[in-house]
Amino acid sequence: MITLNINGITVEVEKGTTLLEAAQFLGFPIPTLCHMEGLSPYGACRLCVVEIGAGARSRLVSSCTYRAEEGLKVRTASSRVVKTRKMILELLVASCPQSKTIQDLAAAHDIRQQRFRQEYEDCILCGRCVRMCEEQMMAKAIGFRGRGESRSIGTPFDIKSDVCRLCGACIYVCPACELRCTYTEPEKAVCGGCANISPPCVEVDEFDDMMCYMNPCVACEVVRR
Amino acid sequence: MPRLSTIGELEQLRRRIRDRVGQQRPCVTVCAGTACQASGANDVQRVIKRHLIERDLVDQVLLRVTGCHGFCEMGPFVVQEPQDAFYPKITTKDVPAIVDAAVLGETLPDLLYRDPITDVPCQCLDDIRFFAGQQRTLLGRNQRLDPIRLFGYLAEGGYEALARVLERYTPEQIIDEVKRSGLRGRGGAGFPTAEKWDVARRQESGEKYVVCNADEGDPGAYMDRSILEGNPHSVIEGMIIGGLAMGASEGFVFVRHEYPLAIKHLLIALRLAREYGLLGEDILGTGRDFDINIVKSAGAFVCGEETALIRTIEGAVGEPRQRPPFPTESGINGKPTCINNVETWANIPIVIARGGDEFARIGTPTSTGTKVFSVVGKIRNTGLVEVPMGTSIKEIVYDIGGGPLEGSRIKAIQIGGPSGGCIPHWRFDLPIDYDSLKEAGAMMGSGGMIVMDDKTCMVDVAKYFMGFLKDESCGKCFTCRKGTQRLWELLDDITEGRGTLAHLDLLEALGQTVTDSTMCGLGQSAANPVLSTLRYFRGEYERHVIDKRCDAQVCRGLTGAPCQAACPVGTEAWRYAALIARGEYEEAYRAIREPNPFPSVCARVCDHKCEERCRLGASGEDPLALRALKRFITDTVDPRLYQAERYANPVLAGKKVAIVGAGPAGLTTAHHLSLQGVKTTVFEAEDRAGGMLVSGIPGFRLPRDVLNKEIDALIDENVTLSCGTALGRDFTIDSLFASGFDAVFLALGAHRSRRMNIDGEDLTGVYPSIEFLKSWNLRGEVLAKGRVGVIGGGNSAIDAARVAVRQEGVSEVTIFYRRTRHEMPAFAEEIEGALEEGVKLELLTSPVTVHGEDGRMTTVEFIVNELGDVDTSGRRRPVPKAGSEKRVPLDTLVVAIGEQSVDDGADVTEGIHVKNGAVVVDKRTLETGRPGVFAGGDFATGPNTVIDAIAAGRRAAAVIERYLQGESLVAPVEPLLPTAYVEPVASSGAADDRIGRVEIPVQPAEKRRRLFTEVEATVTAEAAVREARRCLRCDLEFTSCPEAEGVLPETSRGHR
Repeated sequence: MITLNINGITVEVEKGTTLLEAAQFLGFPIPTLCHMEGLSPYGACRLCVVEIGAGARSRLVSSCTYRAEEGLKVRTASSRVVKTRKMILELLVASCPQSKTIQDLAAAHDIRQQRFRQEYEDCILCGRCVRMCEEQMMAKAIGFRGRGESRSIGTPFDIKSDVCRLCGACIYVCPACELRCTYTEPEKAVCGGCANISPPCVEVDEFDDMMCYMNPCVACEVVRR
Repeated sequence: MPRLSTIGELEQLRRRIRDRVGQQRPCVTVCAGTACQASGANDVQRVIKRHLIERDLVDQVLLRVTGCHGFCEMGPFVVQEPQDAFYPKITTKDVPAIVDAAVLGETLPDLLYRDPITDVPCQCLDDIRFFAGQQRTLLGRNQRLDPIRLFGYLAEGGYEALARVLERYTPEQIIDEVKRSGLRGRGGAGFPTAEKWDVARRQESGEKYVVCNADEGDPGAYMDRSILEGNPHSVIEGMIIGGLAMGASEGFVFVRHEYPLAIKHLLIALRLAREYGLLGEDILGTGRDFDINIVKSAGAFVCGEETALIRTIEGAVGEPRQRPPFPTESGINGKPTCINNVETWANIPIVIARGGDEFARIGTPTSTGTKVFSVVGKIRNTGLVEVPMGTSIKEIVYDIGGGPLEGSRIKAIQIGGPSGGCIPHWRFDLPIDYDSLKEAGAMMGSGGMIVMDDKTCMVDVAKYFMGFLKDESCGKCFTCRKGTQRLWELLDDITEGRGTLAHLDLLEALGQTVTDSTMCGLGQSAANPVLSTLRYFRGEYERHVIDKRCDAQVCRGLTGAPCQAACPVGTEAWRYAALIARGEYEEAYRAIREPNPFPSVCARVCDHKCEERCRLGASGEDPLALRALKRFITDTVDPRLYQAERYANPVLAGKKVAIVGAGPAGLTTAHHLSLQGVKTTVFEAEDRAGGMLVSGIPGFRLPRDVLNKEIDALIDENVTLSCGTALGRDFTIDSLFASGFDAVFLALGAHRSRRMNIDGEDLTGVYPSIEFLKSWNLRGEVLAKGRVGVIGGGNSAIDAARVAVRQEGVSEVTIFYRRTRHEMPAFAEEIEGALEEGVKLELLTSPVTVHGEDGRMTTVEFIVNELGDVDTSGRRRPVPKAGSEKRVPLDTLVVAIGEQSVDDGADVTEGIHVKNGAVVVDKRTLETGRPGVFAGGDFATGPNTVIDAIAAGRRAAAVIERYLQGESLVAPVEPLLPTAYVEPVASSGAADDRIGRVEIPVQPAEKRRRLFTEVEATVTAEAAVREARRCLRCDLEFTSCPEAEGVLPETSRGHR
């Protein structure tokens, strides 16, 4: 067992426990986007940062990937953590404003402005879908490619993957697009979702405008050319 | 060659090689590193080889083809041994002479490297400053061995350390030796190597790995490549020793695919080492195994990060992961892995061979040994530099690096690659070691050092690095991927003129978040370029966002046409040049006169910043003679053709402004306020208007009728001139306000000469330059007689000398200056003019005492200086040479070592403060500490140019207008870009289109020596048009022909 201190409370956890799990065990809320129980920790969204250590040597780490260490001092909502989290949320809202999940998180953290050039991206590259596909569905149909600005998720060579079973789990776990399928003009998007559109978007042209990875559409089975 | 099966056999082999080397032959060494190959070393090497064979000299002269020596600027070069003569930038034609010289044991003085300062040929490597300042423990060996052969390395003592370790060291002892050496990782972070090794050694695991990180990806850094290319065996030996210490039997070299030569040399070296039994199974018959494989990286920058590197070796996508666990605990395939940089590994054999304690003696207590830096950018000697840790940046940049390129000043260095930071020139005393650099906001990184001068824009530098990082971030962490992209966007906004002060705050906040919240070293240091430039160059950022100016003229969206951007009043120089080329002289006069009420004055005495920045000059030709063109127009066109536009502003009409000082700044303000209907009174202490234009600048440069005509034209019904009234004597600021003035503008100029503070300064015959010039210019009094000395190197000194040389009773004039001519602040053409007129120049000389008899000076004692250390201005400080005093008999001494506006510490009045001899004002609003009182020109800046004073006058007028209307004094600024379209004239295609810069006609020196008439004359109309047609028309990038838009090219006017 490992003893550590979270927000002044001493807690004993099993070896290998992450700081996120330990904090959640104590009931401290830590927002996350890329984390999901049942998937391996990845540390992509950085929302779950916590401050560890003390004094000048203290630093921020992602709690979902950092394992508990003996005697570690953790603060889950220090001013540095909150400041960083708010900036991350501002960046998320600037890039992916139509996600309901992100909207709610931003509202809960009192984000009142967005100072960057507005973008309408449909993916925050949290990698939940990639890990879901690989770890739970055992398919490995999708993965990351490219780096930096041009990083994206897709199938090899962008052709339909033989190993994809169209299970839809990737869409199911997506925090950005779970209810995401949008209006044809992103600025006017109201959170909807393929499965919720009534009547469903049976026209291929409209489906092309949807920012959806699935082909065919899981809701209406329209096939993209 | 049979495999060496014992350590004794290795030593035998080494002795045999050394014996053979002992019978020394002359040797010609060709550097064939990648840089030298690119500049032609391969041809040189082939020609030498052919020459040796053809002349049958193979047995007499040895040819050695080596890796990089470091002096890449001079490639291709040859070093002739044993003389160590260095022949830089040679061609294949030089080869026979060099080979012959080698045979005869002579050197070739014509081909030898010459010292750039003294121009003396350097006889051997140690005479060359670049090499003499270094301690070349690692790089020095590159010169002495051929990387594709093993024997050279063995002769140099290679694999001696390995033999010793195999024979008598336990793993603990190896680590202890490394620990005592104090060696820290050369990859950047500076983690103690022994500590890392010890952790890996203590891991209980059957398999362990050692890795050499040769994924050198920093822009401008190539020291790792040079070591791998030039001495691959040193890295291999280091890795074997590391493997023995940690109990690993396998090693990887992770090397960039873009380093083909390094990979080739490494592969050859690995093969040789295996063949000789130095690598692989049963090393030297000791029963120990260790082998090395090469993994080629595809070039992603992030793969240099150790956890990403491990994933790449495993065959996965190069993405960092959370540490801990550290690679030394769980690395490749979960096994303990020790990763060190190329340079660290290359240092290991040295540590073992010399002993840890000996190694620790080099450098500083916390950072030991030497470090290789690749010094690139705006510097004379680019190349690889190896110095002991703790060497100051100054030594590297100015002594070894040779200082700035001609005509520029070094501003900062960027160290540590894209995620490193900038260090400004005023911190160049900083010793280079891990901790000092970190404290200064930079980092050692792998050792890339990019030198930047005043033509480098720091915002643009930050943007460049951010652009690199946004492409090279792996993209896993949201804050690194998006953060670098957003930082780049913000910087892009600033460089394009869309920036605001809020951008700077956001840059800082976001930079902090990126640093704080990312996983790996790349992300955590990604914001460094922004944060460190903001920390040291915030002023430059503010120039971009507030004034919308890029002083380095790099940011295109803020620069427009360079000539226009360089002019303090924003004269559209391109426009009058274009109009002259079209023959539209009156329009050209309008372009000149609109921003500048003193066109004829500036056509004669302006320091033409426009010409300094002209792109013709930057592209290797002579810059456009813009001042001569301006002179042509102002002499040709009748100024009365121009009528300034007048505005009827009801708020401003009836307001009264007092202007103190009738120099260019004061008169410009009065003129521009008059156009708005404001009544001004200009108070002048002397008996006529003009300020420095009349009292400081002699008539042979600026004829008085020209000046007076221009001043008279500015005095209209709204302007009252009150000469002979001085502030403090006839009125005070309080009395001005009491007598109904709404605002006061102080433009008193800088009329107090600085004193030398030496003995005898008050003797008769010693005059401050201002007094000397005023006496002649205003009153016609001749103060100089006999032998005249002038102290100083600025424009006043030159003016004083040129006045003195023309005066009756003067036999000779000498200027004494404490630095070299290169550093004289006076305009080059003025110095040239003075020399032509017979003025003598004594450089590197400072006055010590003025001696006299009966209260009159007779001789001056001088001391000779040497150039010493570099000071904060980037110039070398003159240091007096002891015992070099000399006495020079002089009858008159003019002291021109600078002027100031007010005596230090003396406050003119309440709320107006003085610092460094000038009045303190807000640079943008010219406000003093007292409401309603503004100050500008030399009075606020110290001695400065005419055009800067005019610019201050224009600014003052604009600010006072806003003040009188009760508006905010700071008005939003737009970038100054060309707006009007002037159609270019078609090229005649004739050969004379490519004629050089026009010669400005001047009176012959013998004639003008005794005359006070004007020296320069106007160019002819034909010459002016021809000169104007040389203009590259940078403005056309920003304007377009309103009529031609949408019209097909065939019918457009240019193709008629």
